[in-house]
Amino acid sequence: MNKGSKKWFWIFTGPVLATFTLVVLIPIIMGIGYSFTSWNGISSQIDFVGLDNYKAVFKDKDFFNSFLFTAKFAIVSVISINLVGFLLALLVTSGLKGSHFLRGIFFIPNLIGGLILGFVWQFIFTKGFDAIGAALGIEWLRGWLSTETTGFWGLIILMTWQMAGYMMIIYVAGLQNIPDSVLEAAAIDGASKWDILRRITLPLVAPSFTVGLFLTLANSFKLYDQNLSLTGGGPGNSTQMVAMNIYKTAFTSSKFGLAQSKAVIFLVVLGIVAITQMYLSKKREVEM
Amino acid sequence: MKLNKLSKALFASALTIVMGVSVIGCGKSPEEKPATTPGTTDVSQSGEKVEVDIFQFKVEISEALQKAADLYMSTHPNVTINLQTVGGGDDYGAALKAKFQSGQEPTIFNVGGPQDVADWIEKLEDLSDQNWVDRAGSTLGAVTSEGKVYGMPYGVEGYGLVYNKAIFEAAGIDASTIVDTASMDKAFAQLDAKIKAGELKEQFPLLEAVTEYPVKEKWVTGLHSSNIFINQEFKTGVDAYNAKEIAFEKSEDFKEYFDLMVKYSSHSDSPAKLNAVDYATQVGQGIAIERVAVTQQGNWVYGDVKNVDEQVAENLGFLPVGGDRIPLGVPMYWAINSTQPDAEKAAAKDFLNWLYTSDEGKNVVVNEFFFIPPFTGYENYPAQDALGKEIMRYQAEDKTTPWVFMGYPTAWGEDVLGINLQKYVAGEMTWEQVIDDAKAKWAEARQ
Repeated sequence: MNKGSKKWFWIFTGPVLATFTLVVLIPIIMGIGYSFTSWNGISSQIDFVGLDNYKAVFKDKDFFNSFLFTAKFAIVSVISINLVGFLLALLVTSGLKGSHFLRGIFFIPNLIGGLILGFVWQFIFTKGFDAIGAALGIEWLRGWLSTETTGFWGLIILMTWQMAGYMMIIYVAGLQNIPDSVLEAAAIDGASKWDILRRITLPLVAPSFTVGLFLTLANSFKLYDQNLSLTGGGPGNSTQMVAMNIYKTAFTSSKFGLAQSKAVIFLVVLGIVAITQMYLSKKREVEM
Repeated sequence: MKLNKLSKALFASALTIVMGVSVIGCGKSPEEKPATTPGTTDVSQSGEKVEVDIFQFKVEISEALQKAADLYMSTHPNVTINLQTVGGGDDYGAALKAKFQSGQEPTIFNVGGPQDVADWIEKLEDLSDQNWVDRAGSTLGAVTSEGKVYGMPYGVEGYGLVYNKAIFEAAGIDASTIVDTASMDKAFAQLDAKIKAGELKEQFPLLEAVTEYPVKEKWVTGLHSSNIFINQEFKTGVDAYNAKEIAFEKSEDFKEYFDLMVKYSSHSDSPAKLNAVDYATQVGQGIAIERVAVTQQGNWVYGDVKNVDEQVAENLGFLPVGGDRIPLGVPMYWAINSTQPDAEKAAAKDFLNWLYTSDEGKNVVVNEFFFIPPFTGYENYPAQDALGKEIMRYQAEDKTTPWVFMGYPTAWGEDVLGINLQKYVAGEMTWEQVIDDAKAKWAEARQ
């Protein structure tokens, strides 16, 4: 490495590194520090309490429930978002008329903020579904978001609708990277459409799946805005996700230290899940 | 250990940086706003530019308050008032903490009662020397600590069962017969039968149920409904705040009332669906369009109903709850941030004084906020709206009970009781479990 490139290295990475340190690393370290205190978020007096907060987290049933709910949500939403995203990508790359227009349409939900989307869908679920259910006498369409099950599927539908377009873009890029020659050769060799998809296309877009799965997994775990505006965690905290549980502990119950220790545990778990996922998906990628 | 040392050093440097940042944030460049002599409240003459940031919780008055601030600024050109409103109960508390932590500390903010005063004491300016203090009657107890007054009451509010007089009249029900939960049951049953038989269909085509009960709004159930019964155990908010335990003596009465609200609601056959009923469904799409005849709310809904249907708003009245009385109280108090520069604090005090004691201000408080004034000296400003008048009637007849929910442990009312009540209507908890858990969590919070 010569001197010039070293200079450029720092010119480009320096600002990013500094920002990352300031807004990510330092807060994480401070957060870890606060997790050993009983700070209430207001007072200037901060008492050190050792591992008490961590012990309390493991006894907190609500936190455990919200973790479970979040995990369930993450699994289902990762599957549904990526599945729908990939199908949309196949649709818009299949040479269909107006596919450029469709790409735009499918992507638009992603441009709307999560909070607004939550309120829009809240209206659709509680008023729209209810009206249709009442008119047609379909009982399961009524009273959406008033139970854990409908709240759960409400969140899944909302997130899939919002994120599928974004994943579609990633998969479109992946699909377009596959050389036509390979596909043509397979077709000439007599492979059926399904075989081409399974044996050629899917392995070759595996790198896109690595990215897509990572993004959706992390997003689903950290979800907050949509959770807040669609269900607000209700009814009875049953659809409260981890991020909201941590926020409420810190700001509503004024237990900042406890909330920080929850956040640290959350960070560790999320880290393990994400690294495992990356490792497993990477293994499936193939070189051309 | 090397790692240990490194992390310590990092933590220390991180703390230094953040503290530095927050100091800069709090300081708000004092050199731009030189302090006036402490104690002076009149800043209008000084001519120095002062900025007052208000961070308040009452969404219903945000527009009228902005107008009042504009009016004040027109006569006090050196003062700039920035108003920010974040709605309701717990959300406001959370937003306020976030606001303070971000370093953008407001000059004027809100505290709700003894718990807030204890939490925020480092930031609260002593307001004992303000001239409205001796006109405030008995409303200052909740914000007095060690003889010092830290808050100025917003106004007096009352809630109960808001009902539509026209519907009751059409059904031939005399509202004055309702003096307790049993007589309420009787009256509601009568009305319910008429609605179900379609007798009122012609006059009120949308009418589908007697009540609407927003179990989704935990403040309505966990704070307001529970207060009706808990205030028979704790006489004031301060008593509740000091109580190590709650006996929930009136839990059976509470159950009777709660079940009644559910029984006559539009979702009586599947109560779990009440968990999706919110304030908008209850008020704007409920009582205001005459879809229901009764709902538990306070005098603050008048404006919302009026926006939908003025005629209906004029027909509203209060039915007593849990007896022949309605609970009256102060929803929130104005507080001034003691860490701000003196000039800013003086301007803030002057603005609040102006708002509640000048003729212009009084007019705003009564006729635009629709507040029941918390101070004496409002003889020429009678309440204008139907619900305000009702409250003044209850007040005159001395048929009121206190608000004590601001003395509940932090987040207990909404996040423990309110949540448990949601589980109760969903059939996931029995009433005993609701009450037992609430008692346990109260004691736990007060350890």
